[in-house]
Amino acid sequence: MAVISLRNLTRDFKTTRAVDGLTLDIQAGELFGLVGPDGAGKTTTLRLLAGLLDITAGEAQVLKYDLKTQAERVKKHIGYMAQRFSLYSELSVDENLAFFAEIYDVPREARPERTAHLLEFAGLTEFRERRAGQLSGGMQKKLALACTLIHQPEILLLDEPTTGVDPIARREFWNILTDLHLDGATIVVSTPYMDEADRCSRVGLMYEGKLAACAPPREILRQLGAEVIEVHPADWRAARGLIAALEGVREVQTYGEALHVLVEAGTGAKRLREIEKTLKKHNLACNNIRLAPPRMEEAFISMIRELTEETAQGDPHVPRP
Amino acid sequence: MMNTRHVWAVARKELHHILRDPGTFILVLLTPTLLLLFFAYALTTDIRHVNIAVLDYDRSPASRAFVQQITAGEDLDLYAQVGSFEELDTLLVHGKIKAALIIGPDFSRDLMRLQGTPIQVVIDGTEPESGNFAVDHIARRAETFVTETLGRQLQGMGLEAASLSPLDIRVRAWFNPGLKPRNDIIPGMISMVLGVPALSVALALAREREHGTLEQLMATPIGRAELLLGKIIPYLLVGLFNVLFIPALAIAWFHISLNGSFLLFFLLSAVFLFAILSMGILLGVFMRTQAAALALSFLLIFYPGFFLTGIFFPLASMPEEVRLEAMFLPGTPYAAITRAIFLPGSGLEVVWPYAVMLLFQGVVFTGLAALFFRKKL
Repeated sequence: MAVISLRNLTRDFKTTRAVDGLTLDIQAGELFGLVGPDGAGKTTTLRLLAGLLDITAGEAQVLKYDLKTQAERVKKHIGYMAQRFSLYSELSVDENLAFFAEIYDVPREARPERTAHLLEFAGLTEFRERRAGQLSGGMQKKLALACTLIHQPEILLLDEPTTGVDPIARREFWNILTDLHLDGATIVVSTPYMDEADRCSRVGLMYEGKLAACAPPREILRQLGAEVIEVHPADWRAARGLIAALEGVREVQTYGEALHVLVEAGTGAKRLREIEKTLKKHNLACNNIRLAPPRMEEAFISMIRELTEETAQGDPHVPRP
Repeated sequence: MMNTRHVWAVARKELHHILRDPGTFILVLLTPTLLLLFFAYALTTDIRHVNIAVLDYDRSPASRAFVQQITAGEDLDLYAQVGSFEELDTLLVHGKIKAALIIGPDFSRDLMRLQGTPIQVVIDGTEPESGNFAVDHIARRAETFVTETLGRQLQGMGLEAASLSPLDIRVRAWFNPGLKPRNDIIPGMISMVLGVPALSVALALAREREHGTLEQLMATPIGRAELLLGKIIPYLLVGLFNVLFIPALAIAWFHISLNGSFLLFFLLSAVFLFAILSMGILLGVFMRTQAAALALSFLLIFYPGFFLTGIFFPLASMPEEVRLEAMFLPGTPYAAITRAIFLPGSGLEVVWPYAVMLLFQGVVFTGLAALFFRKKL
């Protein structure tokens, strides 16, 4: 059953079209990841879903409510977490939870148990007296999540919940999301991190307000139809140009001093040998070279590159990469 | 439907903020008092020790006695006795003196003959306050001097000085020595400093917008009126604390007397706070940043407080349109109320039209705020 149903959803700001004809159905129980570069329209999409922005055109239904006319009524069924920390710094952890419990009309008798459970869940039990403003970034995010869960919403909308948080806190946060997902919650989460996209049940790639791709991560990787050869040359600058010029190489992505070479699926082993041969011929040392399964990050960069090239073709002033 | 628990949750949260954030605490609880002290002193400090010079062409015992009479006390200080007009000019130009007294050569003769006794006073026009003070003072002392001298002379002639008194009394009314400006200004001032909570409430809404907490609140099912009322209530409470404290300060510190009922004053102050806070929240609805809210609050709450509410410039001196505009600022009727209750000690039977006006303003402003405040970014 689709709990979120969007048809040509469009939102204009003064000079830009932030969301451009989005059509998407999200089913109950999905952990849906919204990925895309900055300015792609992820935040606008989530704000539209949370009823925080007016719809310019198109249809949007969340649960059984039409967002155009019933945006207020949908609010008690969703939990929305803004990208910025948006809790009250002067209130303690407990007071923040109590505040949202009151606003969401959580029955008084249910509060102590639910609060205790959420604090436990978020690992904040020992900090419940501390003011929110004095928590670390990761703890603030977890508190914000706990506050959006206090009324047991049917749908969770999380806007880049792990941006600006250290890797360990990020992992903890995602473990919580996975637990919620396993409990049957419907979650829509936007993220700039591709390793997080890997943990979603389905991923929508947004680009310039449009949904450029939408499928489970494995399917997206399959659509990519590529294998990745990781090369660690001693001199990656010189190696990069040589490898890019080789036959059958789709693209070369640079990761620090490593090169990730995308080649057609099924040709990986063959291309690997050719790369080794070429590097040897040009007397370029290579520390390590191996075949690896493609990851979301490579798929994402590849897709964005293709999309950028398509856009650029229509506009002669934009230099092609 | 309005849910009072939601209102109270927002109000409690806001109170926590006021009490825990030092900046807000100072702004809301201490600023009105400090402002009152500051204004009261800056605007009503009595002028004293004004330097004057005397150019005495007469040099008679009578003229010396006259100068002594004038410079007795702390009001005017004799800076110099000069011998020429040029010397006077130099002293005035260099700002050493604020006024100069010139006594003509026939001073004592005219005085004895009961003729008009011309005295010339020159003042520094760049500082008319001190100069005028000196003129007033000299004129007042001159009256006393002349009456006393004449009185002695008349007594010598076997006449009663009292027979001349009607003339003197009428003149003296001009220079009412008991006039204390504070009595008049401070009640009006109270209405202005109590505008500070309105500024805070405008800032409070803009602050939530800036910090992103408003975005989170808008994503909840809280009602618009619940949110706005919840924001107003804590500032109303804090404002009422100020209403208790500030008149007490005015009475104890400035010796202003409250001639009317304190209860009436307190209740009408609550109505005023409701009106001005509604105005503040209306500003907060439209302003996106605290800086903008601050600027607009000053423009719409404090400047009109100075110029339009009749605290400093009588409303009667304004054109009709401006007077109407002034009446739509809560400070105007409230200034009238505070003065009426403090000075003549009027009751509700006199001030009720102003109270109705305030109530009306509060309802209109809150209504507009609720109308224009949308739970959209």
